[in-house]
Amino acid sequence: MPASRRQFLKTCAVVSGVPLLGLAPRAARGDTPKKGGTLRVGFYIEAATMDPHLSGSKIDRQVYHNIYEPLVTLDTSLGIRPGLAESWSQPDPRTLVFKLRRGVKFHDGTEFNAEAAKFNFERMKSEPKSVRKGEVANIDTVEVVDAHTLKVNLKKADAALLATLTDRAGMMVSPKVVQERGAELQRNARGAGTGPFEFVEWVKDSHLVIKRNDAYWNKQGGPYLDRVRYRPIPDDVVKLQSLQSGEIDVMDYVQPRDVAAVKADKNVVVVDVPSLADFAYQLNHTRPPFNTRALRQAVAYALDIEQIVKGVWLNVGVPANGPIPPTSWAYDKSIPPIKRDLAKAKAKLAEGGQPNGFAFTLTTNNIPINIQEAEVIQAQLREAGITAKVKLVDSATLISEGNAKNFEMISYQWSGRPDPDGNIYQFFRTTPGTSLNWSGISNPQLDALLDRTREVSGQAERRKLYGEVTKLLQDELPMVFIIHPIEPKAFSPRVQGYEPIPDGMMRFKDVWLR
Amino acid sequence: MARLVLQRLAATVPVLLLVTAGVFALLHLTPGDPIDAMMAESVDAVAKASLRAELGLDRPLPLQYAAWMGRLLRGDLGRSIRNGEPVLESVSRRLRPSLQLALLAMGVSLLIAFPAGIVSAVRRNTAADRVSTTLALFGICMPNFLLALLLIFLFGVTLRWLPISGYVDPAEELVDGLRSLALPAVTLGLALAAVVTRTLRSSMLEALSEDYVRTARAKGLPEGRVIRGHVLRNALIPVVTVLGLQLGTLIGGAVITEYVFALPGVGRLVVDAVFARDYPLVQGVVLLIALGFIASNLLVDLLYGVIDPRIRHR
Amino acid sequence: MASSIPASAIADRRWEVLRRAAGARLAPLGAVVLAVTVVVALAAPVVAPHDPLRQDLGNALARPGRAHWLGTDNVGRDVLSRVIWGTRVSLAAGFVSVALAALSGSLLGIVAGYAGGRVEGLVMRLMDAVLSFPPLVLALALGAVLGAGLGGVLVALGVVYTPTFARLMRGQVLAVKARDYVEAARALGAPAWRVAWHHVLPNAATPIVVQASLSVAFAILAEASLSFLGLGIQPPEASWGSMINAGRGYLQQAPWIVFAPGAALFVTVVGLNFLGDAVRDALDPRARG
Repeated sequence: MPASRRQFLKTCAVVSGVPLLGLAPRAARGDTPKKGGTLRVGFYIEAATMDPHLSGSKIDRQVYHNIYEPLVTLDTSLGIRPGLAESWSQPDPRTLVFKLRRGVKFHDGTEFNAEAAKFNFERMKSEPKSVRKGEVANIDTVEVVDAHTLKVNLKKADAALLATLTDRAGMMVSPKVVQERGAELQRNARGAGTGPFEFVEWVKDSHLVIKRNDAYWNKQGGPYLDRVRYRPIPDDVVKLQSLQSGEIDVMDYVQPRDVAAVKADKNVVVVDVPSLADFAYQLNHTRPPFNTRALRQAVAYALDIEQIVKGVWLNVGVPANGPIPPTSWAYDKSIPPIKRDLAKAKAKLAEGGQPNGFAFTLTTNNIPINIQEAEVIQAQLREAGITAKVKLVDSATLISEGNAKNFEMISYQWSGRPDPDGNIYQFFRTTPGTSLNWSGISNPQLDALLDRTREVSGQAERRKLYGEVTKLLQDELPMVFIIHPIEPKAFSPRVQGYEPIPDGMMRFKDVWLR
Repeated sequence: MARLVLQRLAATVPVLLLVTAGVFALLHLTPGDPIDAMMAESVDAVAKASLRAELGLDRPLPLQYAAWMGRLLRGDLGRSIRNGEPVLESVSRRLRPSLQLALLAMGVSLLIAFPAGIVSAVRRNTAADRVSTTLALFGICMPNFLLALLLIFLFGVTLRWLPISGYVDPAEELVDGLRSLALPAVTLGLALAAVVTRTLRSSMLEALSEDYVRTARAKGLPEGRVIRGHVLRNALIPVVTVLGLQLGTLIGGAVITEYVFALPGVGRLVVDAVFARDYPLVQGVVLLIALGFIASNLLVDLLYGVIDPRIRHR
Repeated sequence: MASSIPASAIADRRWEVLRRAAGARLAPLGAVVLAVTVVVALAAPVVAPHDPLRQDLGNALARPGRAHWLGTDNVGRDVLSRVIWGTRVSLAAGFVSVALAALSGSLLGIVAGYAGGRVEGLVMRLMDAVLSFPPLVLALALGAVLGAGLGGVLVALGVVYTPTFARLMRGQVLAVKARDYVEAARALGAPAWRVAWHHVLPNAATPIVVQASLSVAFAILAEASLSFLGLGIQPPEASWGSMINAGRGYLQQAPWIVFAPGAALFVTVVGLNFLGDAVRDALDPRARG
């Protein structure tokens, strides 16, 4: 049966992280990219700031990856490739030496060199409002060896740092722009980046426009588009309708409920982009009922994750075995997600001292899909005698409750990072005080493993360590993992040349309009 | 007259005090912190603490309120926590689409209310009355977002006559601007039409029962002349009043319409600010909305005083 | 000479009002609608064919048919049963919030009207403050403070509608205060509350009832709008408004999820409006002939 075999292969492709090139709007043979046109992009909110060092929002990054460039970049299988750094080496575990690309100019005409790079790192560390401080915390000092060589001295070995530098922490901003217009940079990024596009204007709440950088250093491929115009459309029903009626050309996310219908629509091309994200629920280890491990395990066994992924997420994603997504090299597919077992759940209930079940509060965000998931979880848990009372809150309250550890089971959707460390360390390492370790887990064995993963640099060895971490997490359950979602992106058929990278960022360098 | 104005102005001060104190208290009672919300994925407690200190968010509440009032008296409404933009600037930028939308919505409501209201008043208790009253009710008998969705589906997706979302300023591009505001104006206008129709109907009935109308009819004037000449003019006064009073609601309360149609208006500004716990922005906008509401009330009352001499000379 | 209106005359007038209201063409329709919705709400456990909470993920988004007259929603729950049970929530939202508002508003109005002077000024300024406060901000903030459930919405709506009733009641009190018989009663030594009870309230009752009936319709719609912002009844229970909101995204695939509760909402609100209009028309002395 060819249809189901295709489906099977597609699922395999998704699970193993191979990009679905067959579904990408590829140019037909003989089609050469042509220059011109304005690409109209619809996102659910608009960017918050144009200063990558002060940025905390995901949507900002979408724009940044077109006008700014990081030292190193990601390829489709999450490997690290040269960006503004041509090559790098590690003479010892606490030193990184970057050889920077020559002939690169910022959009304002100034040259990119080691001095500029050093300026950027120091700004990230010292600027009072910098949000990058935590990401570059391990960097001790930065030295200019020569005009195109940069030496970064680390406080301790950090295998995950390079991956962090593929995003905002590695993005280079023109020092001249910062010095002359620093405060204005948040709203006006003219001349500030080195990327294939440059900033034109941002009319707040209306649109943000970037245009082709004809002086871009990389002469291979694009940029082809004249302009890209970003527009915020908060309502996702309206956003989809805008795409279907041709008012926009690109949409960043198709809701699972719309995916089937949109794939059947000939006016739209859907690309499934497996993401780095993991969606889970954190369990509070610091107070009843979930300070008892058996009760956490009871909940885990009572949940039917496959049914949630199938019924709520409509298979726009894969069931999660832990925090590491299938797109990552560290993913261990030999560890299955926790499978539903009501008998075991009941046994665990007895072991935990609640043979007749118990009640708790499930705190989640009041967006439709979260509500749906919560309702399904409620029904599933009820079959094991566990009563979950759903508490809907807005996201500011959710964050506040989580930070204060004022919850029993709380929804947590992490957008993911290229290095597995970004999905793991800060959530599960013992951390006093307020942190992203909302569950409050403190397990010395886990801590030791996590520290090792940062010290060791070989991928094979880290992968083994992460396998052990995953197994331990399934036992200790600081979180119950549900799904690694796919982020379907939708395009008008005119859009050609888009290559999805699992970090979900839409890079338009080689995109052109038919 | 001048004394009336001064009296009313003096009365607004305590009202504004109550409003600002109320919103301040309410905001700070809600769980959630703007810095945490802004830097959700960051673990840097030191950076967050220093940012909070810089913004004065770690001081005791009464002090924060006093500081805010102090700045207010100097004409400074503060800056948004999220992006540092002065509150006054945010509001004035978002006021224009809201104002344009409100005025267009009122226009739409009058287009419906005029025929409906006049017909039902003149042909009272007949089938025509019932039909037009029912039609006028249509706009307020379903939730705003449902009406918006249906209109989008019909005119935007199926017929493709009008753009689905987004805002173009009619002052800059008239045709495109009006097209972008058409569906939202109809959504709001349909709801408003019900209220306006009712008002027009009852005020026309009242005017129709006046003595001078009977006199005019007795004199043999054609009905149309009577209506147009005398009744309508007097009946319009309460209608204008109602519309004036609704202006404030339309500007600050059209959140859902703004959200669905992606219009950068004041309603969405304040709601997004509440979700982000952007205290200065919420406080500033609420104050301005309250001010606007009071101002339009005062204006309407003054207009009444001008038109109705009995009130003026009290 | 002081004109005294005997109590029996007041009662007669009230009957006349009711009779006229009933006579208006569409009033019976409104009354029927209201009666039906109340009955459905009370008899929900009996009338609903299925358990409104029972999920059936394999049968999600089923078209209306024999097993499910109005189809199923996105997790396979029977839409008809949910609409029936939703009647309780929507009616409660309407009636309770308006009752709260009418009670608190009337109390404040009476106090303001009777006390006069500074107290009256303070109360009316407070009412002005509430009126000029954007209602959505109030609802959102209260929802975050009190929890996002129905209770928070009821309190918020109650607060928002209070000034209308307060002003109404105060106006009535002022009007009645000026009447001769009240002055006579007071001169004879009757305490203020007695006067209020016997004279103010009966007269004020009818405009309050009219306002209330119209406000109930608005309150039901307001609850629907608030569900758009994430406030109101919490899952898995549903109100018509939250059903419409949840089903919004499925409008093209499964329109029955939206139209079933939408129709129920529409009919109820229209019926309530007819009722309120009929009562108001009947009250209006100029509405004769």
